[in-house]
Amino acid sequence: MIRTIRPSNWSHAIACVLVAVTALLLCFGALVTTFDAAMAVPDWPATYGHNMFLFPWSEWFYGPWDLFLEHGHRLLGALVGMISLTLAAIVWRSRLSPAVRALAAAAVLLVVVQGVLGGARVLLDDKTVAKVHACTGPLFFAVAVAIATLTRKPSGSSVRSQATSGPSEASSLTSLSAGRTAAGLALASYVQLVAGAQLRHLDASVDPTTFRWLVAFHLVGAVVVLTLAIAAAISARMGERPAARRWSLAILLLVGLQLALGFGAWIVNWGLPSGWLPASWMFSDPLVARSLWGAAVVTGHVVLGMMILGAGVVLAIVSGVLASPRVGPATPPRADHLRERAFA
Amino acid sequence: MKRFSHVAFLPIAVLAAACLLSAGCGKTSSASYRLNMVEATKQRLTSDQERQVATVLLAMFGTPDDPVALPETGLDEAKLRLASGPVRSDIVGRKNGLYREHCAHCHGVTGDGMGPTAAFLNPYPRDYRPGVFKFKSTERADKPTHADLLRILRNGIAGTSMPSFALLSEPQIDALAEYVKYLSIRGETELALMRAYFELDDDAKGILPETREFLVDEMLTPVAEKWKSATAAQIVVPDMSADIDLTASIAKGRELFYGDKANCVKCHGVTGLGDGQANDYDDWNKAIVEINKEVKGGLIKTGETSTSGMSAEEAAEHRQQVAWLGKFSHVLDGDALTPRTIPPRNLRRGVYRGGRRPLDLYYRIHAGINGAPMPAAKGTVAPEDIWHIVNYVLSLPYEFDGELGADRPMVARDRF
Repeated sequence: MIRTIRPSNWSHAIACVLVAVTALLLCFGALVTTFDAAMAVPDWPATYGHNMFLFPWSEWFYGPWDLFLEHGHRLLGALVGMISLTLAAIVWRSRLSPAVRALAAAAVLLVVVQGVLGGARVLLDDKTVAKVHACTGPLFFAVAVAIATLTRKPSGSSVRSQATSGPSEASSLTSLSAGRTAAGLALASYVQLVAGAQLRHLDASVDPTTFRWLVAFHLVGAVVVLTLAIAAAISARMGERPAARRWSLAILLLVGLQLALGFGAWIVNWGLPSGWLPASWMFSDPLVARSLWGAAVVTGHVVLGMMILGAGVVLAIVSGVLASPRVGPATPPRADHLRERAFA
Repeated sequence: MKRFSHVAFLPIAVLAAACLLSAGCGKTSSASYRLNMVEATKQRLTSDQERQVATVLLAMFGTPDDPVALPETGLDEAKLRLASGPVRSDIVGRKNGLYREHCAHCHGVTGDGMGPTAAFLNPYPRDYRPGVFKFKSTERADKPTHADLLRILRNGIAGTSMPSFALLSEPQIDALAEYVKYLSIRGETELALMRAYFELDDDAKGILPETREFLVDEMLTPVAEKWKSATAAQIVVPDMSADIDLTASIAKGRELFYGDKANCVKCHGVTGLGDGQANDYDDWNKAIVEINKEVKGGLIKTGETSTSGMSAEEAAEHRQQVAWLGKFSHVLDGDALTPRTIPPRNLRRGVYRGGRRPLDLYYRIHAGINGAPMPAAKGTVAPEDIWHIVNYVLSLPYEFDGELGADRPMVARDRF
């Protein structure tokens, strides 16, 4: 039997690294907001007068927690920028589809914009810029995930299964429907992240009515995301793409966990919603501000929201929202199959 | 190729939409204190008078980013600087803007208890401006000591959304307590200024004298003095006898609880579940309830009144009244939260907002709770008897209660 030889796929590997490092960057970013550490370093792009990359690591590592978060966020941001540039260069030199090239270019543009926004947030000490910065992060992550998914080569077995059976027209339509639902889910989860960013970066001088409307919007958004996640799971189950089924189930699980974390985030910030629940449910001990447990729940809620967005993008792509990313001659599946039969 | 070229524009379009939403939602403005519009409207201040109050307060107290503490306030400006302003680290890495980081989202930048999250909290966050604080070691009408504020900040308030800030450093908690005092002194001075217009004689032409004697000596100093004298107003607590018979003490406390003297049963109920009189308001909410009644009643009355038989002077007065009521109604919509009743505490849960130490309960019973319907037992119950009530109250979560139909001692959890 001939082993299926897969040509090197640097673009996919680098895109995966980009996704991983971006996820870490987003965790740091979410922690920066949770601990109100954005202004822990008063200058930019320097860190306390030092070149960002030459800031003494011992001061960073053993210094105040706020400084650790903010400077770490900056370093990771710079790393993500460099990986994005590398990825864009490789993608542009490869035979990848215009969609991937366009996304790689968008990633570079977004990472530059995001860096400038981060700097402006510090230099202007402006919460509106902070909100836009918080909205750009997940968008960049979604683009990175899309690139990683589109550059992934289909495995030999999945190509063979498609070549031998070939998806029926009905199943293609079902998959496309799942893909569109997933695209809607990704969009809805992004809107949720935008709403969450407004809540987390809310200026203290905002009136209670605005906050109430934002909370209501966020809660309605949660219902929409849950509904779309269920719809996507049903559509994927009716289709014939195993990857879509797996991803849709994972999304459903993540959304369930996210709802629990959202409720938890409310509790660690303001306690049980008194008046809506029996008085006996109130905690007998006061909440502890800035506790590690509280920060983990609140930050986890933000990070999981981004994971749902990323998973929604993957599901949309594996369900066929975007067609095959590769152009140029590829080995026909039938020839692959024939070779396997003839030389086995 | 053209088929996919739109993909690059999608993230840009989404980002543009997000930017627009972010710019529109709670747009950042330079922080400023809000005028107490409920009081200003109640006192029928003109817009010129409102401006004068704002200007005087700015001169006396500065802004949220740049607070000023006149020597008469007795406040430490260095501590205020640590707590005030936007959240940021200074050149030595010390965090500033503590109030806006930890408190302002609920208590508001002005300390009016109208932060963004306030409407969701029950009880509402404290409005510092009237200078009334509930949980303290001083007599009912007196201000809390600095140590009282520190204790609340360190311990939080059980059963409410007020968290414990035990994870902050001592200087940080100290700075926050100082800033709370600053906001309270500022708020009370604002109230005094607004009420002073009512006492102006005709020669003043509706303008407050802007002299040091009037503004500092007459308006600010009396407010600040009450804070300075708080330590001297601490309740003197008699020691509980070391060889006290606890069973007898609890029995005596029970007798007082249900008796006419202490009459705790009236609000806390015969079961102690807080199911007695439960339709009362605290002072903050009661003030809004009364104003609401006045405004709604006034609007109904003026709506029913015909101006046809009125003289020109009466008609003008009527129009003025209608305009004032309309303004007040609008002010209440934006500057006041929907009033809520304050249920008496369920004593069988073992959750005591002012602290769980016997000493804390002694303070609550002795002086009552300022701003709340809980009255002071001082004067009606002897100091040593207050300890008996304390012992009884502390035993309530574990008390066998035959009246509830149980055949075994019940713990608090079983009662729900």
